[in-house]
Amino acid sequence: MTKRRITAGQFAFLVPLLLLIAVFALYPIICSVVYSFFDYRTNDQTAAGLYTSTSFNARLFAEDCGYIAYYLDDEITLLDGADKAELEAVSADAGAMENTYRDTAKIGRLSPAEEEKLGRFIDDTVARINLVYDKNQGVSFYNRDKIGVIADEMRSCIIKSNFTGFAAYEALLRDTRFFDSLGHTVLFTAVSVALELVLGMVLALIMNRAMRGIGAVRTTALVPWAIPTAVSALMWSYMYDGGSGVIAHMFASLGLISSPEVMLLSANGAMAAAILADVWKTTPYMALLLLAGLQIIDRGLYESAKVDGAGPVRTFFSMTLPMLKPSMLVALLFRTLDAFRVFDLITVLTGGGPGGATETLSIYAYKVMIGQSNYGYGAVIVIAMVLFVAAIAFLFIKVLGTELISDD
Amino acid sequence: MKNKGWKRILYYIVVALLLLVMMFPFFWITVTSFKPSEEIFGSTALRVFAVHPTLDNYRTVIDKGILNSVKNSLIVSLSTTAYVVAVSSLSAYVLARCRFRGKTFLMSLILGISMFPQMIIVGPIFNMFYKLNLLNSYGVTFAYSSITLPAAVWIMVAHFKRIPVSLEEAAHIDGCSMWQTLWRVIFPVALPGVFTTAIMTFIASWNEYLLTFTLNADKAFQTVPVAINALRTQFSILWGEITAATVIVIVPTLIIVLLFQKQIVSGMMAGAVKE
Repeated sequence: MTKRRITAGQFAFLVPLLLLIAVFALYPIICSVVYSFFDYRTNDQTAAGLYTSTSFNARLFAEDCGYIAYYLDDEITLLDGADKAELEAVSADAGAMENTYRDTAKIGRLSPAEEEKLGRFIDDTVARINLVYDKNQGVSFYNRDKIGVIADEMRSCIIKSNFTGFAAYEALLRDTRFFDSLGHTVLFTAVSVALELVLGMVLALIMNRAMRGIGAVRTTALVPWAIPTAVSALMWSYMYDGGSGVIAHMFASLGLISSPEVMLLSANGAMAAAILADVWKTTPYMALLLLAGLQIIDRGLYESAKVDGAGPVRTFFSMTLPMLKPSMLVALLFRTLDAFRVFDLITVLTGGGPGGATETLSIYAYKVMIGQSNYGYGAVIVIAMVLFVAAIAFLFIKVLGTELISDD
Repeated sequence: MKNKGWKRILYYIVVALLLLVMMFPFFWITVTSFKPSEEIFGSTALRVFAVHPTLDNYRTVIDKGILNSVKNSLIVSLSTTAYVVAVSSLSAYVLARCRFRGKTFLMSLILGISMFPQMIIVGPIFNMFYKLNLLNSYGVTFAYSSITLPAAVWIMVAHFKRIPVSLEEAAHIDGCSMWQTLWRVIFPVALPGVFTTAIMTFIASWNEYLLTFTLNADKAFQTVPVAINALRTQFSILWGEITAATVIVIVPTLIIVLLFQKQIVSGMMAGAVKE
């Protein structure tokens, strides 16, 4: 069958999906990519937007001019003669500036000529005022400090472009905290997925046997998977607690850790704790996916293997495992990607601690982006994560031959 | 056959161990929730059953509004489930049945979105919700689409593909439009699949943490996973209350798992098993 253009009727069925994906997935993804090229920090007014050219906060500037005029009017009362006239002139100039920009839209573009003009105006004003101040050392002026503050604020109204191109990406390559969190992420992912695969396989092989009590095991296996990760992490943080934690005490009395407090307060202990909690929660999921793969293997094949004299170990490695490969790869891919972006579990269990020892890429990105309001650099970290995720998916799909989409 | 008997016993021991490991945390949380706080700390911390069992922990967390977050979770999860099921059945029908240019691209896009680290949407979504004045509201349900919709479409496509095409051909000959065919003929047959999608979407929204944590800082709109963690940071180590709250929020999950385990397993398999 050949492929046709989509008909209007078919397209209508897809519209709601396309809209939701566009607004809540594609648009944010594009935004993040754009953010990554800017020094975009919402807690700093000179970087709180995406400015490709110099911008001007006209309303704030007009307000500042007003303040200058207002403060100078106080000082004028202390002076007379030429100095008085000079400050009156400066005050009038500032008042005129205020009138020019008072009704301009809040933040707009600024041409290079205007930028220079405004810059010179600020410098001139400050210089003229300071000259008068310096000439009258004996007079105790009211507002000398305030004028300085206002002048700084006026300068910040001229907002330089915060487009940085690939500079933040270069910074990322020198960011040791990034490489540390990458290391933690890889360690966490590799160890927990490997353990989950082995244990999940054991669990799946057990569940694949038609024996009494298997239904109960299968139901039970769903429970850890189904409860919220943030809640299960909280449960584990109680059991790992140095004072009242049953698991921490158990491990300490088994000699695995030197004392119960070590579980969450040492770097290795916290990482092990996170991995163990993840294995507990997701092994059943892995097992159920593998079980489904096991169940589509023809039972007759096992009979033949038995007739041919193959032992259980041989049967597993020469027959079951190769036949299970497609389902196993899909399960591994999903789990690897899930573990790579781990957030809920570790954020609740350790918050990335102690001393950043369990900080993964997601947690680092979140702290930078939401914690420090540094959206630009946060986006850079996230995009680096996406590249790793793409590499993992590529490895699984192209190199290992995982089939995800079958268009039959 | 003595050997086989031993094998059987060994097998049951392994099964019992597995059950023990999987269930132990729940057991421990439940027994702790009935302990008065002085028994949770100190030398009695590891005693299994409370000497003086109490319901105080439950009373306290209910007073602190845990039921309000259960209500929030229900509102957000049910509305997400409703619109995600509607949107995904419409589109999955077309994706499962029709062939058109760009379909593979669309399917890959959906799959790609489900693989993306969620963190990439968090910053822009926060800004979007801030500008639209949707922070601290049930508006978070729309943001949930980015995590629930791809999986829902995937499960629905798998189910629609299993329905014989002959059904629709008959409907088509009878003069049904595409909409009528979907609504009157396919939908009723696909109900188990729709149901599976609904359950999986509900569980995913019920468990969602990152988006609510970021977008709804206000306690009045927090869902269960966020609210229960707020309990800890606020009152640093009141394990009695935390375990009681955990028991309260785990019960709905247990009920769902017991009632719908078949659908859950089938939902997990969609797309994950090559048939």
